[in-house]
Amino acid sequence: MQSFQQDCVALALRRYRRGEVSRRTLLAGLAALGVAPFATDEARAQAARQLVMVNWGGIANQGFGRFYGEPFMAANTGWTVVQDSTGPSAGRIRSMVESGRVTWDMCDSSASSSNLLGRQNLVTKIDYSIVNRENVIGPGFALEYGAAPYSFSSVLAYDSAKFPQGGPTSWADFWDLRKFPGTRLLRRDAIGALDAAQMALGKDPANLYPLDLRACLRKVAELRRNAVYWNSGSESEQFMRTGEAVMGQIWHTRATVLEAETNGRIKFIWPQALLQAGIFVIPRGNPGGEMAQRLMASMLANVEPQVGLLQLLGNGPTNPRAAALVPQELRRKNPTDPENARVQVVLDGNWWGENYQQANADFIDTITG
Amino acid sequence: MSAAGRPGVGWWLLILPAFLLLVAFYIAPIVQVLAISVTEPEPGFGNYERILTSSAVQRVIFTTLRICIITTALALLLGYAIAYAITLARPVARGWWILAVLVPLWISVLVRAFAWVTLLRRQGLVNNALIGAGLIEEPLPLVWNEFGIVVGMVHYMVPFAVLPMLASMREIDPRLLAAARGLGASRGEVFRRVFLPLSMPGVIASGVLVFIFSLGFYITPAILGGGKTLMVAEWISLQILDLIRWGLGTMMATMLVVAILVTLAIFSRVVDLRRIFGAGA
Repeated sequence: MQSFQQDCVALALRRYRRGEVSRRTLLAGLAALGVAPFATDEARAQAARQLVMVNWGGIANQGFGRFYGEPFMAANTGWTVVQDSTGPSAGRIRSMVESGRVTWDMCDSSASSSNLLGRQNLVTKIDYSIVNRENVIGPGFALEYGAAPYSFSSVLAYDSAKFPQGGPTSWADFWDLRKFPGTRLLRRDAIGALDAAQMALGKDPANLYPLDLRACLRKVAELRRNAVYWNSGSESEQFMRTGEAVMGQIWHTRATVLEAETNGRIKFIWPQALLQAGIFVIPRGNPGGEMAQRLMASMLANVEPQVGLLQLLGNGPTNPRAAALVPQELRRKNPTDPENARVQVVLDGNWWGENYQQANADFIDTITG
Repeated sequence: MSAAGRPGVGWWLLILPAFLLLVAFYIAPIVQVLAISVTEPEPGFGNYERILTSSAVQRVIFTTLRICIITTALALLLGYAIAYAITLARPVARGWWILAVLVPLWISVLVRAFAWVTLLRRQGLVNNALIGAGLIEEPLPLVWNEFGIVVGMVHYMVPFAVLPMLASMREIDPRLLAAARGLGASRGEVFRRVFLPLSMPGVIASGVLVFIFSLGFYITPAILGGGKTLMVAEWISLQILDLIRWGLGTMMATMLVVAILVTLAIFSRVVDLRRIFGAGA
């Protein structure tokens, strides 16, 4: 399954190829994503002074390197941050930690995976005496086993040409096939889909958690005959663009691209969108030891690079001071802009961490049933 | 070979290095991974119990078997017709036929899956043509379901079905067909009573090959299924990479290996597999 970060990188590369962003911006964004030049043999030789950041590939390599790696290197002379784009899935982290030969220091993960890995003692707790909790906008961005230097959101996007009477304004509308007929699009993952289902069931978004799993799954089953499910961001974009689906829950980065490309025919709304933390984790027994905690602190503290990353890849900043620095024309696209954040629902990473394994298995079971 | 027709010790020593290499770097790691299925989350056969108790696990298995059986049947049907035509074609035409069978084999499975998406989607070539011709009002659901998966898989499997059948059909002595005609059999009878029985070993070999290959299909169902159909291979990857339920994932992997071995064992009793896969030829 493609992660959000993987998708950001794919998207940025495409924009670069089309000439929509310059090479400099591209590299900048990639650096912010913590993706720097590959580790060379020489670099490996001085491994003691090196931190390895692992991303989902492509343009993230350069983006993370420039926006996360470089600020850290500038502040810690003698240390290098290198990027590895193997794709740090929870399964890969587990096999590395259990084999006893850990080469990764910092992995792009998710709230639910960080909890899952934490409970199996596969990742290190974040040391909040080094990492400053004040540097993130909310408690969901600084978890026990991971912290988030970026954010993203699962928004409701729809084809306005299909609904001349006015588009959907909530997840309840998303589930209303009579009022808004047509194929729906959801990610093939419980996270986001069940939260939306819970809102469609009428629960107050301010007190959404804990989700009523059984009711949410039943709600998801209602849509089964009229829905398709995406695995990767480009796939979600394709489903919307080609008219296979008239309405979908997709990542805000893809939604903004679609909106621009179709001159507003495909729209997306921030209300009730699910704001999520882009959580990084530190594998247990990482070679860089405590320096990884300092890198995490640096990623959360440096505001300008976070804005740079938003410009390049669309990842929202998580530092509370960042939103004010975002250029006016980008604010509509920033998930953590106060205007947008106010109407969204912050996805509860802790609840999902506790319940993801079972909920996702049941979700997959429901949609493939 | 020694006098008794059995390989002597010297021969065994020659293959020993290759054998050890295989055991150390291939078989041992696989066994190690598969062993996780009886050690996680707790030692015992709890994961295997799920085959009997979990409807989710059963559904994945039945979906996979259903799709594989349908795919195998269709691929054999189409493949048989193609192989038959090639066997009867003149030598020049035969070369072109074989090229036409082989070319798709060289195209990436990913590219082919996406090509089918372009053809079959709501505003795809097929639906647009049918709507344009006034045959249908609403686009037909040709993809994002099991139908789409079967189309994609059959397309991938036909060459694998054709080749073993072709080999076996070309071994049939054409004089037998002529003799049958001479003895008064009609064309249909010649095919039914002479050609078809003689080509059966090829059909079985193709069937085994296609079925086993289908069991582990990953990309085609993932792209053409619209996320609504889950086959074994994708299910295993989900358990291992995303859900970190390795016990369950390796249990299914073990079942896949067992299913393949059992299929081979059954058919090796029916036909001489070594001959079919080219060892004895």
